[in-house]
Amino acid sequence: MTKKSFTLLLSSLLTFSMLTAACGNNNNGNNEAAATTDPGTSGGTNTATTEPAPEPEKPTEIKIMLPLNTAETPPDTIKAEVEKLTNTKLTYQFFPADTYEEKLNSSFATGSLPQVTYLKNQTTFIQMKESIKDGQFWEIGPYLSEFPNLNKLKPEILNNTKVEGKLYSLYIGRPLARQGIIYRKDWADKLGLKAPANLDELFAMAQAFTEKDPDGNGKKDTIGLVDRNELVYGAFKTVSSWFGTPNNWGEKDGQLAPEFTFPQYIDTMDFFKKLRDGGYMNKDFAATSKTDAVNMFVSGKAGLYIGGSMQDIDTLNKDLIKNFPDAVLDTHSMVAGPDGKFAQWMIPGYNNVVLFPKSAVKDEAELKKILAFFDKMMTPEVANLMYWGIEGKHYTVVDGKAKPADDKELIEREVKGYKDSVIGEYETNGMYQSLNVLPGRIHAEELVLENVKVGVADPTAALDSPTYTSKGVELQQIITDATYNYIYGQLDKAGFEKQVEAWKSRGGAAIIEEYNAVYKK
Amino acid sequence: MQEVTAQASRVPELKPVSYKSSSELKKRLWRNKYLYVMLIPGVLFFVLFKYLPMYGLIISFQDYKPYQGITGSEWVGMEHFKRLFTEPDFLNILGNTLILFGMNIVFYFPVPIILALMLNELRGTFFKRFFQTLVYLPHFMSWVIVVSITYVMVTMDGGIINELLIYFGFEPINFLLNPGWFRPMYIIQIIWREAGWGTIIYLASIAAIDPGLYEAARMDGAGRLRQIWHITLPAIRSVIITLLILKIGSVLDLGFEHVYLMLNSMNREVAEIIDTYVYTAGLRQGQFSYSTAIGFFKSVIGLIMVMSVNKLSKKMGEEGVY
Repeated sequence: MTKKSFTLLLSSLLTFSMLTAACGNNNNGNNEAAATTDPGTSGGTNTATTEPAPEPEKPTEIKIMLPLNTAETPPDTIKAEVEKLTNTKLTYQFFPADTYEEKLNSSFATGSLPQVTYLKNQTTFIQMKESIKDGQFWEIGPYLSEFPNLNKLKPEILNNTKVEGKLYSLYIGRPLARQGIIYRKDWADKLGLKAPANLDELFAMAQAFTEKDPDGNGKKDTIGLVDRNELVYGAFKTVSSWFGTPNNWGEKDGQLAPEFTFPQYIDTMDFFKKLRDGGYMNKDFAATSKTDAVNMFVSGKAGLYIGGSMQDIDTLNKDLIKNFPDAVLDTHSMVAGPDGKFAQWMIPGYNNVVLFPKSAVKDEAELKKILAFFDKMMTPEVANLMYWGIEGKHYTVVDGKAKPADDKELIEREVKGYKDSVIGEYETNGMYQSLNVLPGRIHAEELVLENVKVGVADPTAALDSPTYTSKGVELQQIITDATYNYIYGQLDKAGFEKQVEAWKSRGGAAIIEEYNAVYKK
Repeated sequence: MQEVTAQASRVPELKPVSYKSSSELKKRLWRNKYLYVMLIPGVLFFVLFKYLPMYGLIISFQDYKPYQGITGSEWVGMEHFKRLFTEPDFLNILGNTLILFGMNIVFYFPVPIILALMLNELRGTFFKRFFQTLVYLPHFMSWVIVVSITYVMVTMDGGIINELLIYFGFEPINFLLNPGWFRPMYIIQIIWREAGWGTIIYLASIAAIDPGLYEAARMDGAGRLRQIWHITLPAIRSVIITLLILKIGSVLDLGFEHVYLMLNSMNREVAEIIDTYVYTAGLRQGQFSYSTAIGFFKSVIGLIMVMSVNKLSKKMGEEGVY
C-alpha cells in the first residue's frame, strides 16, 4: 500500500468527522458519556471514592460544583480550614459564572453532576424544576428538622424555593431589595442637585450631568446614566418598578398578567427612549457589557449607575478614586413614581440554591452526611471563615463587625470563590455583618431595609407553570428584543404590542392560563 | 519542501495497486508495518471521539431525560425536527447562516490566497518573516478580545471611529446596534483575524514549486504578474480547491463564539445563526434533544454540500478530497 492511500484515508476520515462532529461539539460528546454509562452507574463512578466512612472520625468526602465570579480558582487556604472544622474532604469544582449554565446543563445531560450542585440563579433554578419534578434530586424537606442550624433557615424563603410544595434545595440568602442608584455626589453638589426624589428629578439629573459639564473640564464629555445590555439587573427593571410596573407578574382585573402588558411598562420604555434620544445615557447600552458599563462609570464619563445592588458602591468607589481622588459617591433608592408612590421590586430572598442529585448521592445516609456538612456551614465559625476569610489575615473584627483587610486583591483571590456559596444569611448563620466605612455604603444598608417596606413581590415566585419552565426563557427573548427595539425607536407602540401577541401565541397564553389556574387556589 | 515535490512526482506510479494473491497483500502489509502502527492512534482517536459520539444523535428522536439516559428516555420520532421546521424563526435563522457562509466564501476565502501571493513576492528573508509574523498574530487573539477591541473602536459612546466621523463632519454611525452593519463587521473581523493564518498552507505549496519553472518563464520574458498567473496560481490550484471543499464542509459552522459575542437584541434578525440558536435553545435552556436535532440537521447539510462540491471538482478534473 502507499502513502497516498493513507492520506486519502486520513483526509476522508478528517472531512467526515468534521461534518459529523459539527453537532457533536456541543452536545454529543457529553451525550456519549451518558450513552456509554447508564446514569445510575455513572453516578456510581462519581461517588466511588466517597464510600460512607464506617468510623465516624473519617472525614466525609464531598464534591461540590459552583460558579466562580472571579478570574482565577482560589487556592486551598480557606478550603483547608473548612475541612478541619467540618471533618470533611472537599473537592471544589469551580466554573466561570459567565458560562455556568452551559456547564451545568452539559454535566446534567451526562449524569455527571457532583453530590452538591450549586445552580447559578433563579433562572437556572426554574429551568431545573422539571427535572426536580422528575425525581432526579433528593427531597431534603423531611430531614431539615434533624439539623439544628439548617432548621433556622427562613421558612418564607424556603417556601419560595419549593417545587410542588416540596423542598429540594438550600438557599443562599440575599437582601430582598438591594437595588437603587449609585451616583456622583460631588457632581450633584457642584450643580446644586439633590438626590432625585421622583422620576422627573432623576431625568433632570441625567440631563444636567450630560449638559452642565459636571467635571468642570470645559468639555461636554460626560453623560448621565450608564446602563448595560441587561433588562433585569441593569437599570430598566428598577426604574420600571419606580414607575409602578408589577414585579414580573401583576394583577389586572382579578387575573395575573405579565408586566409588559401594563401601561407602566410602556412608560418606562418611553423614559429610557427619551434618555437615550437626548444622549443622557450611553447610546450603545444594548451592546454594552457590565464590564464596559462599570469602566465608563469609574473613568468619570458617567454620573449615574443603576444596577442590581447598591452594595456595589464599594467596588465602584475603589476604582473611581484611583482615577479621581476627589470623587464622592452616594446611594439613593427612594424615587417616587408619577403618582407619588414608592415601590421596589424584590427578589424572593435568595440569589441561588444548592441541589443534591440522586445520580451522585446514593442513599439517605450519604445525603445526611452532606447535610451535616451544610449544617456546620451554618455555624458562625464556618460561615465567617467562608464569607470573610481567616481572621487577622482577610478581616478583623471591629465593634462586633467584620472589617475586610486593605489587601482587596488577596480577599478577591482567596475568599471570594467561597463567599458566594454560604447558605443562609447573617440572621440565620450568625456570621458577622460587614463594618462599613464608606458613607455611601452605610447609606445603602439603610436603604436596603427601607426598600423592603415598599417592596413588591413577584406573585409567581412560588407558583408553577409547566410551559414557563420549558419555554419561558426562550419566549422572554421576544419581549426583551421588543423592549430594546422600542427604546431604540425601531418599534412603535403598536409594533411592541404585536410582539406581545407573538409572545402569547407561541406559548405565553398558556403560561398566563397556567399561572392563573394555580393562583386562584 | 523539496520532499513535497519529490512525493508529488512519485504519485502517478503508485496508483495502480491490485493484488494477485493474498500472500502478496500480506507481504505489502508487513513491509509497511510501521506505517500501519502509526495509523493506530489516529484511527482510535476518530473512533473514540468522533464516531462513538454519533451514538448520541439518537436523542434527537427522543424526549431525552438525563436521569433516564438514552436507554430509558421516551421515543418521540421526528417531533423535534418538526418543531424546528415549523419554528417561525427557522427560515430566518437558516437564511442568516447561509448568507454569512456565502460572505465567507466570497469575501474571506480569496484573501489568504492574495496575501500569500503578495508575501511570496517580497524579497529579503527578514521582511518576509516580519510581515508574515505580523499577519499571523491576530489569529492568536481570542474572539472575546477581537470583539472587545471592535466595541471600543466603534461604540457611539466615544469610540475612535465615530469620533473621527464627527471630527470630519459626518454623522456618527451606530455600528454595534444597526442590523445593516453586522455582516460587514463580521467579515472584516474574520479577515483581520484569520487571513494571515490562512496563508500558511498556500505559502508552503508555493515554496514547493520548482524554481526552474520561474527561471524558464523569465527567460521567455515573463514579468512578475505573468509568472504569478501562469506558474504560481496553477501550481496551487489543487490546494485552493481542497481547502474550498473543506471550507464548504463546515458550511454552517461560522464560529459560534464570534457571532454570539456580536449578537444583541437589536441585530438578532440578521445575527441569529444555527449555532447561536443551538446554544440558547440547547445548552442554556437544557433542551438537549431539540438542540441535537438542530445539530444533526446542520451536519446533514454539511455532508450534502461536501459531497456535491467534491463531485463537481472531480468533474472539473481536480482530485477532490476523497
